[in-house]
This record gives sequence, structure tokens and C-alpha cells, in this order.
Amino acid sequence: MRVALAEDGALFREGLLMLLQAAGHDIVGATADGDALLDLLATEPCDVAILDIRMPPEPDGGLITAERLRAKYPDMGLLFLSHYAESHYLMRILDIGTEAVGYRLKEKVGSVDVLSDTLDRIRDGEIVIEPVLAKRLVERPRGEKKGLVASLSERETDVLKLMAEGRSNNGIAGQLFVTPKAVEKHIANIFGKLGLHADTSENHRRVLAVLEYLRAQRDDD
Amino acid sequence: MIAEPAHRTDGAPQAGAEVGPRSEGARPGSPTVRLLPPGPDDRLRFRRARWQSRQRLERQLHDGASLRISALALKLGVVRHHIASAAPDLDGSIDDLQDQLHAVLQELREIAGRIYPTLLDEAGLGPALRGAGDRCEATVRVQAPDRRFDPAAEGAAYFAVADLLGALGPDSDVAIVVGDDGGALVVTLEGVPVEYAGRMLDEVAGLDGTIDVTGGTGVGTITARIPCA
Repeated sequence: MRVALAEDGALFREGLLMLLQAAGHDIVGATADGDALLDLLATEPCDVAILDIRMPPEPDGGLITAERLRAKYPDMGLLFLSHYAESHYLMRILDIGTEAVGYRLKEKVGSVDVLSDTLDRIRDGEIVIEPVLAKRLVERPRGEKKGLVASLSERETDVLKLMAEGRSNNGIAGQLFVTPKAVEKHIANIFGKLGLHADTSENHRRVLAVLEYLRAQRDDD
Repeated sequence: MIAEPAHRTDGAPQAGAEVGPRSEGARPGSPTVRLLPPGPDDRLRFRRARWQSRQRLERQLHDGASLRISALALKLGVVRHHIASAAPDLDGSIDDLQDQLHAVLQELREIAGRIYPTLLDEAGLGPALRGAGDRCEATVRVQAPDRRFDPAAEGAAYFAVADLLGALGPDSDVAIVVGDDGGALVVTLEGVPVEYAGRMLDEVAGLDGTIDVTGGTGVGTITARIPCA
């Protein structure tokens, strides 16, 4: 896979480059800020761009750069890396795009398998969300959703967490060592209990429905 | 920096000979000068500077230790990749080390957040208060403008409110409105026990802020007003 990278911390940038190389990816280039990445990608195409959220142009250059990249190259995948897994940033990322985007903690992509799995899923159009954040969203839903989420069985809660990570049916089945059929049944039960009516057959839309449900803003809208 | 205890002259007037360590090493003939006690403007400037230094500390944690540890987590991943086939035991130990690095980073984030929340620095009072609302037991609704206030006012307002939210149980339903009143930052909390007003005053009084309470002795409305620089 062709990958480009913008990160202002030299140590982390070097570490990530080494790991990407070890994983066998083609590195199109690595820059210390978003504007330099835009210049670079004007001549060198890539499949996924990896962006630090907090880098120049300040204050959150990763998000600004991502907006520009999405407008210019709609098919390019975007992976955001940060020191913080915050739902505030997740919502801003989903405003930029709801396909082929990922948001992960910097220290959590520290293995060839995890990094490649994250990049593959993004290239395939999925949404990839840091499990730490997905877990927090499910355990601390907003306001009146608390009671409904608490009514799910333990297994259903596990499935909901994996859905909030952006995983497909097969992905969830693989993580829980059950059949995709069993996953479908759990998902139908979850959507029934939560009163969600979204199209459950399509992974991408289902993930969005779950995220919106868990984060639904009852204020400021 | 004002070294308050050495210069404090409020209270009983002191004789010149008792001024303290500073006068002891003075050359003979050079007069001893006592600094004036800080005036209200100095105190305010000092407190604002302290909020700015908290903000800098948070950024230092982010750019220093946190970045170094994250980079280490990646380098461990590279090491494991190079030796994976040779040593399956090592695989487990590296997993364990990476988990521990993650735990250390979570602790650092916790500390950084107590010094000055990252979201407050990056995104302002609205997102930071929503984050605090997500972490507490109560149901919290936040209405806030996008505009930014000065870091001292935002910091004092955030900690005053976050402290109160942390003390509430799951039955509380709080509406928070952030606004601007002639240059002052105004935060109104509806549906909170008014007994917490005193604690909020501790946080905002240093910046010449005020607290107003409506609703008698039970659940009511607390309004904090903090002048901005």
C-alpha cells in the first residue's frame, strides 16, 4: 500500500516510518506539517494519508489538512493519530468524512499487524475507531441513552463495542469466535432494544447509526 | 515572580531590623529596600500568569514525555517484527511492555488533564465541559459559543464546574450555559445543589470573579461571572 505521513514529532515520525517499512508498505513521503504533505501529494499519489491531529498549521493541522485532502482526493483514505481519544475529535473527523477514515491512539498502532489491519480497513472504505474510545462511548452514553444501553446483555454489549470500533459482521465474528450468523442475530436484538431503525445490512451505515446514537447531541443543534 | 511570604507587609508593621534574610548579606552602606506588597493588579496578573504556565505544562507533557513514550511503543513493534519468528516468548513480553506503555500514557493524560485539559486548550470551554459531562454520573447539557476567552478565565470556569459535576449523582440533570457579558465570561448552571456555590467561588475569586445563587437552599441556579483580560 502507498502511504504518506505528516507528524511534527521527529521521534514518533521516525518510529512510524520504521514500522511502516517493516510492514512492507511503500512510503510516498513523510513531512513535519500538513501544508508540506499537501505539496508532496500534489505529485505523488497515495492510498492512505496518516495525519497527526495536533501539528502545524496550528492548532489542529491534521483536521484542516484532512479537509483539504478529502476535497481534492475523495478516494484517499485518512488515518488520524493522536495522544487523545476524545469523542469531540471523533465527531469532527466524521464531519470530514464517514468513509475510509480512522482515528487511533499513537501508541496503539505499535505492531505490524495492528497497523496493517488499520490501514487495510481504511483503504477498504471502513471507519476505524480506537477501541479505548469505542468502549468509553458504550459505557458512558449520553443522557437518557444510559438506561437503554444498560438493558443490553453482556454479549450484546461486547457486540455493540465492536460495532462502535467500526468492525464488520465478519470482523466482529472473528473477534468473538462466533459465526457471522450469530453476530447478525445479536445486532438485530441490539437495534430492537435501542429502538434504532437504520438499515442493518450495510456495515458502514450501521456503524454510523451506532455512533450517532451513542453521541447524539441534545444541545447546540 | 512575586515571592509573597518574604515581602508580605500586611498585618502589624515591622521594625526595619527584622526585615529578614535579604538584609543580612547586604553590603554596609547600601540601604535595605522593602518591596511594596503586591497590589490588586499585581495579584491578578500573577494569577493569570499561573494559568498560562499550567497551559504550558500541559503542552510540555504532550510534546515531551508522551511523544517519547509513543515513539517507544512503535519501536518495540519494529523490534518484535524483526525477531518474531525466532522467539515466540519475546512476542508476549513485548505485548506486555506495549500495554504498560499505554497504561503510563493514560496516567500522563490524566495528569495533563488535571493541570489543564487538552480539549480546553485546543477546542475551548464548550467541548471541554461536554467532556467533563461525559465523565460524570449526572446528565449534563452544555450550550456554549465557539468564541474563546482568555486561558485564565476558561481554566477557572472549567475547574469550578468540573469539580461540581464530579460531586453529583446519577439523578441530577444539569443545564450549563456559557455566555459573554460585556467582556466577562458568564457560566450559568441550572439544576445544581446551591451548597456548592462556595467551592465555585474559591476557584473564580482569584480572578475577581463573582458567584450569584438563585433558588434558596436546595437545587437552584448558580451563575459565575469572570472578568477577562
